[in-house]
Amino acid sequence: MTHQLSPQEEQEKLLDEAMQVVKVQSFQMKRCLDKAKLMDGLKHASNMLSELRTSMLSPKSYYELYMAICDELRYLEQYLADEFQKGHKVADLYELVQYAGNIIPRLYLLVTVGVVYIKANDHNRKDILKDLVEMCRGVQHPLRGLFLRNYLLQCTRNSLPDCQEGEETQTGTVKDSIDFILLNFAEMNKLWVRMQHQGHSRDREKREKERLELRILVGTNLVRLSQLDTMVVDMYKKNVLPGVLEQTVSCRDYIAQEYLMECIIQVFPDEFHLQTLNSFLKACADLHKLVNVKNIIIALIDRLALFAHRDDGSGIPSDIKLFDIFSQQVSSVIQAREDMPTEDIVSLQVSLINLALKCYPDRVDYVDKVLETTVEIFNRLNLERLESSSAVCKELSRLLKIPVDNYNNLLTVLQLKHFAPLFEFFDYESRKIMAAYVINNALENSLYIPTQEQTDAVLTLVAPLVQDQNDQPQEEEDPEDFSEEQNMMGRFINLLISDDADQQYMILTTSRKHFGNGGNKRIKYTLPPLVFSAFQLAYRYRDIAEEDDKWEKKCQKIFTFCHQTIGALIKAELSELPLRLFLQGAVTAGEIGFDNHETVAYEFMSQAFSLYEDEISDSRAQLAAITLIIATFERMSCFGEENHEPLRTQCALAASKLLKKPDQCRGVSTCSHLFWSGRTVESEGKEIQDGKRVMECLKKSLRIANQCMDNSVQVQLFVEILNRYIYFYERGNDAVTVQVLNQLIEKIREDLPNLEGNEETEQINKHFQNTIEHLRMKQEAPESDGPAYDGLVL
Amino acid sequence: MSFLFGSNAEIDIALDGQASRKQAEIKTEDGKKEKLYLYYDGESVTGKVNITLKGKKMEHQGIKIEFIGQIELYYDRGNHHEFTSLVKELARPGELTQSTTYDFDFVQVEKPYESYTGANVRLRYFLRVTIAKRLTDVTREMDIIVHTLSQYPEMNNSIKMEVGIEDCLHIEFEYNKSKYHLKDVIVGKIYFLLVRIKIKHMELAIIKRETTGSGPNTFNENETIAKYEIMDGAPVRGESIPIRLFLAGYDLTPTMRDINKKFSVRYYLNLVLVDEEERRYFKQQEITLWRKPDKGKKSTGFVYHGPLQSGPQPPET
Repeated sequence: MTHQLSPQEEQEKLLDEAMQVVKVQSFQMKRCLDKAKLMDGLKHASNMLSELRTSMLSPKSYYELYMAICDELRYLEQYLADEFQKGHKVADLYELVQYAGNIIPRLYLLVTVGVVYIKANDHNRKDILKDLVEMCRGVQHPLRGLFLRNYLLQCTRNSLPDCQEGEETQTGTVKDSIDFILLNFAEMNKLWVRMQHQGHSRDREKREKERLELRILVGTNLVRLSQLDTMVVDMYKKNVLPGVLEQTVSCRDYIAQEYLMECIIQVFPDEFHLQTLNSFLKACADLHKLVNVKNIIIALIDRLALFAHRDDGSGIPSDIKLFDIFSQQVSSVIQAREDMPTEDIVSLQVSLINLALKCYPDRVDYVDKVLETTVEIFNRLNLERLESSSAVCKELSRLLKIPVDNYNNLLTVLQLKHFAPLFEFFDYESRKIMAAYVINNALENSLYIPTQEQTDAVLTLVAPLVQDQNDQPQEEEDPEDFSEEQNMMGRFINLLISDDADQQYMILTTSRKHFGNGGNKRIKYTLPPLVFSAFQLAYRYRDIAEEDDKWEKKCQKIFTFCHQTIGALIKAELSELPLRLFLQGAVTAGEIGFDNHETVAYEFMSQAFSLYEDEISDSRAQLAAITLIIATFERMSCFGEENHEPLRTQCALAASKLLKKPDQCRGVSTCSHLFWSGRTVESEGKEIQDGKRVMECLKKSLRIANQCMDNSVQVQLFVEILNRYIYFYERGNDAVTVQVLNQLIEKIREDLPNLEGNEETEQINKHFQNTIEHLRMKQEAPESDGPAYDGLVL
Repeated sequence: MSFLFGSNAEIDIALDGQASRKQAEIKTEDGKKEKLYLYYDGESVTGKVNITLKGKKMEHQGIKIEFIGQIELYYDRGNHHEFTSLVKELARPGELTQSTTYDFDFVQVEKPYESYTGANVRLRYFLRVTIAKRLTDVTREMDIIVHTLSQYPEMNNSIKMEVGIEDCLHIEFEYNKSKYHLKDVIVGKIYFLLVRIKIKHMELAIIKRETTGSGPNTFNENETIAKYEIMDGAPVRGESIPIRLFLAGYDLTPTMRDINKKFSVRYYLNLVLVDEEERRYFKQQEITLWRKPDKGKKSTGFVYHGPLQSGPQPPET
């Protein structure tokens, strides 16, 4: 039974055998050389080199074999060099090695000898180099030819003429080196490309892989060119690049083209690229249709953009219109390559915009130009509603995010005339994401939007966040996401700030228009900040009253604006929110004190009341609302008795009409404060301190507490009322006496032990104890201007 | 023999200026090489014949020396064709009593052909001393070697030709000359106009054709003197492959045409392309080889025999 070797084992076996031969022959070679038997040494060298004639090895194995043999050849080279050094001219060696019948060993030996000749005496250098590179044409087998020429390139590495024309023309100039390398490059590239067309078509993938492994051999030529010190930019422009590009384009192989273009970009200095942009980019247009031209151009742009930012201050010379050249050439490339994917076109624009931003940070028009081009391309391609998952859409998003991120200034972005139009090519989802991106950027940078026009522009741009869109999907979106998004818009409204009050007003009306269309689900997030912003503005008018004689009218207008805006929220069937806004408005109007402020404040208060009455039905909400109304009203001092009286009566009435007894009790007791610390125009900012009415309130609340069925709640209410009594007693309300306090304390003391022992009771007890403790302290150390506690029974 | 018949004299031929005369190698019939003294056409052949007596005296019928140029055809051993035969008498019949030395000179001898040892024919020059005796003559022969020298040919065109197989392979080859001296170098190139077969390699062979006899009895003997790979792998259209073949390293003679109506030696360059199925495509071209007078100066080191400059240029891509 014979064991079938796997392809890999087969390779290992073949390589191993070849290596054995190399070992034996190189040993013999060295022995002969050591004994000064040159001819025999050469014969063994030739035998060793014959191993490279094989067609059985994979590129990888062949490479290993090649490396091993090169190592051994160095010994021969060193020996020959030493002989020359000693003055032992080995006559006709260059001819002698050419008698080898087989071309592979012959040419390896020829190269070895040729380089020794050059090193010993560079007199013939130019001719030898030319001869070697020409003779290598004899090897047309791709793999063997590539390695042979690589050997040539390696051996001549330090022997290439590198001086300017006119210096030492005998031994060659840099021009000769260029010719030498260019020819070698062209031949190697042809061989490399030819590999693709050998063998069976089913092995294509394998072959492409192998070719990629070998690309460095071809690229080394370009590296060598770039290492010629005396090659000046002019030579590169006239002699080098045209040759390299010609070969690259004409080989019509996409693997080679992609690699070589990349190589050119990487190995040659930026200064060279800058001088040859047009020809390089023109060549890009002529590449094979499978070549990813985009990556090539992007690589170049990125490199130059980096160069522009280098610290050594060289930068882009002013005579090179970098952006114009790229812009023009990129558009030619796009036109020349009809089958270029749209996303790649956009990617190119991305790099262009990067270039513009990095090299010309001040030229907003350049950035806009790129966007304009993009719009034109999209129009030409009849594109619309790009799906958010599509590659084009992703690229376009990338494109648009760049100016946003770079400027970090929404106002600059707004200067780009073609920024907004590009939004129209997005589908709803992407539009919204981009809109959010823009807004977030403004928020992160705390960027104020100072004019009405800009406000209008931004809000139009981010319309998907402001109002419903025609193309928006039917289903509701995630409420949490929605709320987050709208809160963001709420925050954004705080950035709509102008130094000029009148401008601010216009900003408000404009944004009101936009947000007003947001629908019920949005306005509760967006209108309140607007209202608050309007209140702010009213304060500003008051502050600049001396400069603006129409300030009162303007304030009136602002409150009308607020009134309407709050009205919109009511229409959206909201109640507590507008109620609070009305109350806030009332306070604001009261504080600003413009011409008509009392009427406005009254109106706002009454609006709050009607909301309370009509819209709030939940008892707990009612209590909270009336407490808020009372508290707000208590703080205000702008009303005359004429208005104050009905309002406070209304408060008391509303409190006593609450449904639940405990609520009634608490509401009424809260109302007591209106009669004590309330202020009217007539009281001239002083508290009205109507002790009798306070007492009535408290008595009434005590009465209501008595009606409570739940003992625990009842005692709790008593404690609370006791606290109010104490408060007013301490404030000097004569109607409250020690006797009244004693009665209430006694009542609580009676009832408290009867309560069930639980956590609630515990709390009530604690509240009561604290109250008693407070009284005891007051009793023991009365304040000089405070009331006396004589007769208080603790 | 000499012992049996009592040959009691030894003959020795010493050429004038032997020590400084150049020697050249030639193959013997059995394939070995021997070194002989080298003469050219028109050169005098002079020297001395030493006869050393072993006994006291020797009677003889006369002593002579001949200079002979002859062609030996191996299939006709009995007949040697002498194209040159010169005789000098060294002594009249008589008796030798002591060892004697005779001078001889063949002045400005015509030596029209080159010495040659081939597969079926041999052309040789030799000196023969004969001591005529009553029973058996005592003889002594000495071979010399003759090289024919030529001047630079006046006409020496390049060989240029387009050959091919229709729709399959079209090549154009060019050798820089049609006449090469023996230390010359063949420079040329092969240009591929059309390649539709998978070529594995290409080689250039030097073939020597020796023709003997005439008419129906003509024998041709082909020998491949050199086999020289000039290309490895398959070229594509437009490739141009350089040729450079140094002749000095090979065992070559000048081209000989119809030597004394007995034989010819001609040389051909055979261009062979081998495809992956081991099929061979070839084209033979005769070249003329000639011997250049040796200046005795050897070049040292690198001599550039660069690629041909003429010929078709690759088409614009």
